Amino acid sequence: MTDEQKGIIENLRKAIFEYNAKLAKESATQAIEKGIDPVEAMNVMTVAIREIGDAFEKGELWLPDLVGASDAMQAASPVLEEEMKRKGLQKESLGTVVAGTVFGDIHSIGKTMVTTLLTAAGFHVEDLGVNVKAEAFIEAIQKHGADLLAMSALMTTTMAEQEKVIEALKREGIRERVKVMVGGAAVTDEFAEDIGADGFEPTAPGAVELAKKLLGRNTEERAKK
Amino acid sequence: MAVKGFVRNMKPLDVLTGEQLEEIHSATLHVLRKTGVRFDSTRALELFEKNGCRVNHDTNRVRFPEGLVEECLRKAPSRFHVRARNPENDMVWGGNTTYFQALSGMRTVDLNTWEPRTPTREEYYDAITVLDGLENVSIVPWYTPWFGFKHIPPVMAMPEGLAARLRNTSKFTCAGYSMGCELFNIQMAQAVGAELRTMMAASPPLTFYEETIDAAFRIVEAGFVLLPTSGSVYGGTAPATIAGSLVSGNAEIMAGLVFAQLVRPGTRVIAQDFSFPQNMRTGAPAFGSMEISLHQAAFNQIWHGYGIPTDGGVCYPNSKKIDYQAGYEKAIIATIGALSGTNTIWIQGALYGELAFHPVQAVIDDDIAGMLGRFLQGIEVNDETLAVGVIDEVGPIPGHYLNQPHTRKWWKKEQFIPRASDRLTHPEWLKQGKKDCIAIAKERCEQIRSCHRVSPPLTESQEQDIERIVKEARNFYRKKGLISDIEWENYQKDIASPNYPYG
Amino acid sequence: MALRGFLRSFKPFELITEEQVEQIHEGTLDVLANTGAKIYNDEALKVFKKNDCRVDFDEKLVRFPPAVVEECLRICPSSFRVRSRNPDHDLVLGLDHVVFFNFPGRDIVDLTTWESRPPSRKEHIDLVTVLDALPTVHFLNNYPYFGYSGIPENMKEMEGAAIRLAHSTKVTMEIANNDIDRFTFRMAKAIGTEIFANPNTSSPLTCYTDQTNACFLAAEHDLPSMIWDGATAGSTAPASIAGAVIASNAEVIPYIVLLQLLKPGARVAVANLVLPQNMKTGAPAFGDIGVSLHLAAYNQVWRRYGIPMVASSSGVSNSKVIGFQLAYEKTIPSLIAALSGSSAVQIHSSVYGEITAHPVQAILDDDIAHMIGRFVEGIVVSEDSLAVDLINTVGPIPGHFLGQAHTRRWWNREQYVTGSADRLTYPEWKSGGKKNDIEYAKERMEEILSTHTAHPPLTPGAEQEIEKILQEAREYFKKNGYISSSEWQEYMKTLQTEGRA
Repeated sequence: MTDEQKGIIENLRKAIFEYNAKLAKESATQAIEKGIDPVEAMNVMTVAIREIGDAFEKGELWLPDLVGASDAMQAASPVLEEEMKRKGLQKESLGTVVAGTVFGDIHSIGKTMVTTLLTAAGFHVEDLGVNVKAEAFIEAIQKHGADLLAMSALMTTTMAEQEKVIEALKREGIRERVKVMVGGAAVTDEFAEDIGADGFEPTAPGAVELAKKLLGRNTEERAKK
Repeated sequence: MAVKGFVRNMKPLDVLTGEQLEEIHSATLHVLRKTGVRFDSTRALELFEKNGCRVNHDTNRVRFPEGLVEECLRKAPSRFHVRARNPENDMVWGGNTTYFQALSGMRTVDLNTWEPRTPTREEYYDAITVLDGLENVSIVPWYTPWFGFKHIPPVMAMPEGLAARLRNTSKFTCAGYSMGCELFNIQMAQAVGAELRTMMAASPPLTFYEETIDAAFRIVEAGFVLLPTSGSVYGGTAPATIAGSLVSGNAEIMAGLVFAQLVRPGTRVIAQDFSFPQNMRTGAPAFGSMEISLHQAAFNQIWHGYGIPTDGGVCYPNSKKIDYQAGYEKAIIATIGALSGTNTIWIQGALYGELAFHPVQAVIDDDIAGMLGRFLQGIEVNDETLAVGVIDEVGPIPGHYLNQPHTRKWWKKEQFIPRASDRLTHPEWLKQGKKDCIAIAKERCEQIRSCHRVSPPLTESQEQDIERIVKEARNFYRKKGLISDIEWENYQKDIASPNYPYG
Repeated sequence: MALRGFLRSFKPFELITEEQVEQIHEGTLDVLANTGAKIYNDEALKVFKKNDCRVDFDEKLVRFPPAVVEECLRICPSSFRVRSRNPDHDLVLGLDHVVFFNFPGRDIVDLTTWESRPPSRKEHIDLVTVLDALPTVHFLNNYPYFGYSGIPENMKEMEGAAIRLAHSTKVTMEIANNDIDRFTFRMAKAIGTEIFANPNTSSPLTCYTDQTNACFLAAEHDLPSMIWDGATAGSTAPASIAGAVIASNAEVIPYIVLLQLLKPGARVAVANLVLPQNMKTGAPAFGDIGVSLHLAAYNQVWRRYGIPMVASSSGVSNSKVIGFQLAYEKTIPSLIAALSGSSAVQIHSSVYGEITAHPVQAILDDDIAHMIGRFVEGIVVSEDSLAVDLINTVGPIPGHFLGQAHTRRWWNREQYVTGSADRLTYPEWKSGGKKNDIEYAKERMEEILSTHTAHPPLTPGAEQEIEKILQEAREYFKKNGYISSSEWQEYMKTLQTEGRA
């Protein structure tokens, strides 16, 4: 690697640690211009995100830091992904997630936190927004070949909708193809188990760990290959 | 005859200077004018456009001219009467009066393990009875005591809850909205001659969804009280600064107030502060934290400056138990609420966040409400209370005041004797079984539950109306496919069982 | 550097009008001029006589002319510094800041049975160590337990003072009972720290010899004074709050007058421990809302006088257990005291009344003090904090603020993250063993006790000096009949066990 290339890689890493979306995007563009492997550039950012996640676990950093870092990464990712597509390279991913807040529910911040952190962690996320009907979830799962469905519901009146979506998956014959995790302030372990979900997590950072666990302990090794 | 509430006999606590108030106000108007608020409702967009707002129909963004906002603030009444089922429980909101209201939670808790569970129907009714019997509970709001109870489908939680409240308390109550249930709420309230308060909750930042707007139209057109609220989380759906979240939240509430005045000029509006800081570790709201009080104090100053009554002082602790942490978290928020002039303060009954409620907690909290109510009354300063003559008569040691007529007259007025606290000396306490406030409150709770009766009970025809409307709601949601077969089966079983005292 | 506490950013809360404050002031002057106070101290009587007061030497009664009172109040400083042997722990007491400190308990409380017993020496040291470590304990009260087991009554506070001076560098105070302070202040002086003299009133309207002597000590050695009043409204003060404020004023002002006559400009603060009487049990009604009303009115009066006021009644509750009642009974008056202008608020460590205390409680109260302090510091209103441009950039949903630089910059300044509270969601709380605040505080206590020591530590020479003065005191009090033979024997055994005999 030339010095110039090393400098760009360093900037990419710095952009993540400084939550600098503009610098991240510029560095990604320069990386491509200067012939840096886009997969390697993506890995640099993923490693930085992981270090920030470790610091969060230790209590040294907080949610705004996690989200700031992932926003920076998401500013750079499309540039690198475009290049990977052009070169016929496979974008490494820990899995594809379809996410949304269920029908009748319009709360979004919790879901947004989870999707942001999932993306930063290396998942490909299709965020369907709020007030999402069961049919829309099913369509998205089929269209994107999703590995994981993540549903959010904040109210007791809409929690039940999560069960309806799981029933719909069974009716479509695709329940076994996709893991389901649920969340929302009112949701509990018992409720998740009752409705047949695969997992439940009350916090956004915890949801990322759950996603990794549900898709197999070796997701990181699988992604590295 | 109206319930007096507590009259604050001193100026409220002010945390902002005149200049700061002006800066926040200007910033709020600027946001309304420049950024605007999204309203996902064609009917609402047309209403705003007709009244001089700039509306972008592609993005549903409404931008408000200052003049319209100021005019609507003037139109909204600054003090108004609200009608409970029993006129003796009517209230006047606004100005320097404060009332306390129960604060709900999703589920009940076991007072030994502190783990939450869904309550039974009987527990639901009993808890309302306790709230009806507590002296300082003036309002039994939506979702109170719990979000629902066993065997009822979630979609029926609101109508069943309101029916339970109208049956078991004659105090003022409120109802929320979800899946169009306000249609049934309004009918039930009208059937018993009560008014309702319903929220118009923004989805922060700066958004109102269709369901919210539709419900608000119905409530305002029915002539009931609207409570616009933000519910923002600062650092998440509002800026992380208290000042910034006030601006953003106030813009949302103001948009709701303007909406109400345009639909029906003179609509009674009470502005609610339901904002919390974000817990930057878990992502949940940071219940019980100090910033809630600072936010609330400033909120009151701002909205009372506009001449609009305020609702707030949401005393959710983050503690899961009735313990020291819950005590100080609730006490701080309630005290600041009272001192800064919140007109209706939420306190009796809640435990962690919005997730737990217990009537024993409500009994304990009622004492805090009574204490703060006594504080708001202030002290009398006159010749008699200055007591210079008595001081001279008693003189130095060995003089004392115990036998003075002055003492007999005044001591009770200057103290508040709580009903559920340990007031024993140490030896008495040891002898009587070391009862703490929870043990004492349990006894009092049971006493109220078993002896108190709602006054007046519903008449036979009112009861029939309520039952008819609830049945209509059941069938409505069943037809809409919002109650599954299993849910319906369990529900019908419950209604047919001895558990169900109506119909 | 010094400990100044939290700076107020808005005007104090006012319970009564200015006119009503004046009425209370007039009433105070009336009582002092016409009723007077009994001062059982011939030296003091002479000083008052010499300075235009009407003195009845037989009755020990002094009546104070308004002009003398007004002048003496006027020349009290409204803010002053008290020096510590660690300058970072100097205390600055004044009207524009609020500091916090501990409320004592006679005994330690068992956190399981809630029963009380005298602490051991180690437990006494542990409490002082924790208080020294806590950031919102800005100075130390006397005690904080009443000595420890194996010590005669009359030596309890002195041994306690020795522990405080060795294990904390925060400013502390002495007690004047039986002229103990004559020894205590020498201990403080020997190690280069100032100490508060602590004359207490006796209600109604009485000043006893040893307490009055504390004023002479303070004047002679230029000590600051914290004058304590602890009347009970309805028994030793009028039941009406306005009247109780007058009575309390009239009790502390004689000490203020004496101090100013002896040494004009002497540093003075007044501390208020007035409680309503529980008219069922006869004990004080700890935690009653009357406490808060009294403190609010009292604060207004003493701000008018421009003299730092210390809220003490805020620190006592009737709860025997660390629980919900204890919390609201201490929090409400502490908050109201801070809001209405107290310069210092007493809160840490006390459980029931003045009977029990615990370091875990001190740690829990550290969070409350922080929260109250954060509140009085108020809200920043600036272009940056109003964030209008950011609100515009983020816009409606799906915009949010979590990833914004503004959020990262501000959230930790705006929020106070409690140190010993349960901040978890339900599932985390369950899987983490359902820990509550007491358990978190216990962990913090262990951490403090295993890592914290007073800085700088006392030199061996300083320790010896203190021990020397203690020995003098022991012999003095034994000789003067304050320590019985059996107490002495037990004392010597205790000192031997400690390696100090």
